[in-house]
Amino acid sequence: MDQFVQLTVTGLANGAILALAALGFALIYKATGVINFAQGEFMLVGAYVIFAAMVTYSLHWTVAVAIALVVAILLGVGVERLILRPLVGQPIISVIMVTIGLALFLRSAVQIIFGTQPQRFPEFIPRGTVNILGATVPQNRLWGIGLAAVALGAFTLFFQHSRDGVAMRAVADDQQAALTVGISVRRVFAMSWALAGVTAVIGGMLVANLIGVSGGIVSFGLLVFPVVILGGLDSIPGAMLGGAIIGLLITYTGAYLGGGLQSVIPYVILVFILMVKPYGLFGQVRIERV
Amino acid sequence: MAIPLLTLRKEDIMSRTRTLIVVAGLVLLTAACGGAEGDNGDAAGGGDGDGGGGDPIVLGGIFDLTGPTGDVGTPYAEGVRDFISQLNEDGGIDGRQINLMSQDYQYDVALAEQLYSQYQGARAVAILGWGTADTEALRGRVSADELPYFSGSLSEELADPQETPYNFLVGTTYSDQMRIALKYINEQTGGDANIAVFHHDSPFGESPVDDGRQYVEDQGFGFEYSAYPMPGDATDYTALLSRAQGATHIIVQNVASPAAQLAQDIANQGADAQMVCLNWCTDEEFVELAGDTAEGVLGVTPWAPASIDTEGVQEVVEASGNDDVGGHYLQGWYYAELMTTAIAKLVEAGEDVTGPNLKSALEETEPFDTGGVSPPIDFSADDHKGMTVAPIFEVTDGTWNVIEEGVEP
Amino acid sequence: MTAATGVYHTTYQGDLALRNTRSEYVRLGLAALVLVVIPFVASPFWLTVANQIGIAAIGAIGLNILVGYTGQISLGQGGFLAVGAYTSGLLVANFGLPFPLAMLAAVLVTAAVGTFFGLPALRLKGLYLAIATLASQFVIIWVVRNWDAVTGGTGALVVPPSELFGVRFRGDFTWYWLIVGFGVLATLAATNLFRSGLGRTFIAIRDHDIAAEVVGVDPLRYKLLSFAVSSGFVGLAGALTAHYTMIVTWERFTLDVSILYLAMIIVGGLGSVSGSIYGAIFMIVLPAAIQQMGTALRSVVPAFSRELPAIQTAVFGLVIILFLVFEPRGIARIWQRIKDYVRLWPFRY
Repeated sequence: MDQFVQLTVTGLANGAILALAALGFALIYKATGVINFAQGEFMLVGAYVIFAAMVTYSLHWTVAVAIALVVAILLGVGVERLILRPLVGQPIISVIMVTIGLALFLRSAVQIIFGTQPQRFPEFIPRGTVNILGATVPQNRLWGIGLAAVALGAFTLFFQHSRDGVAMRAVADDQQAALTVGISVRRVFAMSWALAGVTAVIGGMLVANLIGVSGGIVSFGLLVFPVVILGGLDSIPGAMLGGAIIGLLITYTGAYLGGGLQSVIPYVILVFILMVKPYGLFGQVRIERV
Repeated sequence: MAIPLLTLRKEDIMSRTRTLIVVAGLVLLTAACGGAEGDNGDAAGGGDGDGGGGDPIVLGGIFDLTGPTGDVGTPYAEGVRDFISQLNEDGGIDGRQINLMSQDYQYDVALAEQLYSQYQGARAVAILGWGTADTEALRGRVSADELPYFSGSLSEELADPQETPYNFLVGTTYSDQMRIALKYINEQTGGDANIAVFHHDSPFGESPVDDGRQYVEDQGFGFEYSAYPMPGDATDYTALLSRAQGATHIIVQNVASPAAQLAQDIANQGADAQMVCLNWCTDEEFVELAGDTAEGVLGVTPWAPASIDTEGVQEVVEASGNDDVGGHYLQGWYYAELMTTAIAKLVEAGEDVTGPNLKSALEETEPFDTGGVSPPIDFSADDHKGMTVAPIFEVTDGTWNVIEEGVEP
Repeated sequence: MTAATGVYHTTYQGDLALRNTRSEYVRLGLAALVLVVIPFVASPFWLTVANQIGIAAIGAIGLNILVGYTGQISLGQGGFLAVGAYTSGLLVANFGLPFPLAMLAAVLVTAAVGTFFGLPALRLKGLYLAIATLASQFVIIWVVRNWDAVTGGTGALVVPPSELFGVRFRGDFTWYWLIVGFGVLATLAATNLFRSGLGRTFIAIRDHDIAAEVVGVDPLRYKLLSFAVSSGFVGLAGALTAHYTMIVTWERFTLDVSILYLAMIIVGGLGSVSGSIYGAIFMIVLPAAIQQMGTALRSVVPAFSRELPAIQTAVFGLVIILFLVFEPRGIARIWQRIKDYVRLWPFRY
């Protein structure tokens, strides 16, 4: 039983981070229609900036996080402006490739600047374990779940109640209509990329806390896709649900089935789901008219 | 209507000018390409590998700097490079400089193979290789090409001169390390243990697994023995540890970073298992990454971490001018020193530096002393295992310390 | 016939000819000349690169058929290459089949596997299709890595040198001719494909699949056929890799390779056979040139060769971004513009 509890907590912790990454991805996809393959690399950049600020420049962690947020926002807005704006109207494969190119560039830039040796992330989440239902559970995982939940909750409030949040939902729903009521679509595009950067920083921070600062953070980025398919691109609760399911699925598969299946199972299940529901479990069905 | 013969129509001028531009462009292009090819063609080549005079001696280095084993591959490569440049500064071998051609192959077997072809084409006299997978894949060519090959890999598959006459293992094999670990565990527990082998998901990781199982059977230990590959893209090993529940000892055949993550996961789960590292995680990188969860971990390795202060370490620190040397740096340093000592022997005796000559030189040299960093290295014509013993270490107070010397499998 | 005002066809033969103008034939002749001369003048390093380009071009043409001409997204290229390489390699290594037969088998097997993994394309589009093909990439690699009995698992499969009627095919020089031969065949096949009805059907599906259905194209059949044909080409490329390098490992067929091929066809030009070839040349010469630069600059800027793989990847990513931002239709388009400029000079259009 305690084994099960440990696995569940680990799975949920990973899932919470995946949900954050999925949120960033969904923000961009819903608002601009761009499939961002560089989400993992944004997380990587966020984690390394915090690491550099805290370790190399000995800044307090709040300052480091603030710097990372600024960098992420600048990066997101810069990418939207300089790289994606010129690609409006291009076939989807081109847009996918440009984000892949961006991902490769960011990954290597980080490698050139910081090297590949994995480093320990400075701790501001307490270590040590806690007893739940008779199982020893590492505290940092619980904190990870908690912080991610707080971040997701904050975003939900943002989208429900703030002007910009509602504007983003409007643009995601129907760009033309949003334009007619006076919403600046350009501004919303920039904002969605900036917010994606923010989620990436928070996610990257949490991941680095669990596994240290290294190129491995990027692997969280690819798992975004199954999460997004499962949870849909339209709701934050959906992203959370998708993240939790995928996180748990991977952990349980690894534990009970082993054999490296944990890397493959999420995708296989995904394809089966897609064959039944081609727009994901919670996605909107697109009706095509000739 | 008469058309003056000498009048040139506009279309004619345009068409002729166009042809002229195109032809000129093509000529320039060909010239540029020809020149570029000529220049680039020789960049990969080196000088003559053997022969007399002051020609440089070419060595080929296949290093993993940024791949999955790059965390330990980088210090190793630095050790090799620093030794060679220090040797060159001191005049090289009999006035001949050593040209170390090297590149990061990122643990990609096919790239290793490409580099091997390149080095062979550049007339390298020996190769300082790295990974198990690529060394094993190349062994056929190495034997056919008669090119002495040191490898970071200590896989027992490469130790038999009958099968791989030109591969040399500069260290106790993984399988022997496994046997030493199992023997020690048997002594400590009196025969009652549940062994889980957590290994890298590759030929390197699998290398000692079956031999360990065989040893348990042969020796009649009453151990349970199971093996778990550690997926390369896993961010934690909680799931794997659940599968290995009940294990009393976890032997780790992997490099420092995954091993450190494993140590943290063991601590987090409160699992009551003794971790035993084989040579690629018994190092400073492991202790640094694992932090206090490294406390109490055992290690088996022929190449001691630099925290064990020996003569050999002092020598290297002095010669390299580098204060911060680690175990794998020392390993690389001594690998290079061993190879160049054998080459120097040949040159002094006035012999040509060819593959078969170098092989004999390595086999006939007296045990090579590394000043305590490792057991003496000794090859012979029937045995290319450089050593068969290894000390056992334990992490106490954040550093590795010897708890038993010279254990035999 | 060619006139200053354009190209006119007065016979059916003229309409079907591969090339229309004299200058086009001249260029073709020059290209053929270059192809023949290369193995004699290139250094060993560049000859290896040329061989890699040849194989990649075949794979890129295959991918372009699927992505550029039929408009399907596929991230599973690496997996299909693996299928081709392992099939051919295993048949020769374990069953001693002569390698041309093994390669043929590889083409057929890969086409079948490709058709199977193309099934999601019948229901999915865009993002969802991309993810389904991503799944196929991971599944194929997982099978290769874990099906120890057949593929040797995570180790390397060593393929014996290719022999046919006692003639050994070893060495870059011999393989060059073989690869160029296959490359020319592949190019001709692809070009003719798109001059035929089947090719036009593929293009129709790309442009608007529902409208195509309305005019009588069965999307089920033709999408799967496109996957099959494309995978066949890719299987050939994989088989050639296996026999040329004589080592098959799963690490050569990861997601990064799928991305490399996608980059080739995008940089080269979607929907263009010659674009696939230009893209293959560009994307393979680029890292090789950087490597040479690194070796040359080693003494001046040592950091360059230390960070070589990272620099290669960074430049790779940058090149993709720059091409897509400034010339999304790729090298084929740039070449077209150069030709037009010369043809129409001094007029602008």
